[in-house]
Amino acid sequence: MPDDTLRDSQSEKRWLNALADGDPMAFSRLYEMYNERIYRYTFRLLGNKADAEDATQETFFRVLRRSSELRADGAFRTWIFRIARNLCIDRLRQHKLIELPVDAQDSGSEDRATLRITVQQALRDLPIEYRDPLVLCDLEDMPAREAADVLKISVPALKSRLYRGRKALRDKLGGTMEKLK
Amino acid sequence: MSEEFYQKLVDLYAGCELPEDLESALEKAAESDPQLAFEMKSLRELVHLLRSSPQPEFTEESNQRILMKLMARGVQLQSEEHSPGHMQYRLPIQG
Repeated sequence: MPDDTLRDSQSEKRWLNALADGDPMAFSRLYEMYNERIYRYTFRLLGNKADAEDATQETFFRVLRRSSELRADGAFRTWIFRIARNLCIDRLRQHKLIELPVDAQDSGSEDRATLRITVQQALRDLPIEYRDPLVLCDLEDMPAREAADVLKISVPALKSRLYRGRKALRDKLGGTMEKLK
Repeated sequence: MSEEFYQKLVDLYAGCELPEDLESALEKAAESDPQLAFEMKSLRELVHLLRSSPQPEFTEESNQRILMKLMARGVQLQSEEHSPGHMQYRLPIQG
């Protein structure tokens, strides 16, 4: 394990134990460690900033409320992503989200902004069972074992959905892929 | 080749997860199979496109809005200055 990853993991363990002991500082530190990753993940599942902010906020609120269930055994990342995912799925089911245009908030070049928006729009059109593995494995770079744990499915099932999701996304992007290369 | 095995190989190829020898063997097989060649090339390009796609930006405004909502629900957030004793281990100053 690289030094930085080991240090992060040890630091995370310390803060998880502290949170379980009721240390109010611990929640702030865990928020700082995960806020961006959870926001990115919920943004990619929900497709717009306002919903992603709400889902991120609710995820951390639930982490705090359920902190007695926490175990500092390395499964925290899986657990918090699972909470975020369940919230996003509920949101998608309940509200059938209004088709807002994908936020054009990229501060990079126009080409990169176009790329992000095009990919985001194509992802949003995919069924959630395909979108989820693509976001976790190809966009968040999560190992297959961990992504399968988040989704509560086996690794072969994850791989199968990933394969079908990649094919579906490729077909949706169609000729756009050529232009984006 | 069974459909399942075929999928697995193509998927591993797309994610650049195949060992070098298997990758070469698959590329060799694709020379005489246009459908396989298309699947391999297009899926690998897609994975590369996704991995190089820019991340959604997490702005300070978004962060502040999330924090405000959490605080409005009674969550106490503390800054680093009030670090509790057990988190303040310090190494002796060297030199």
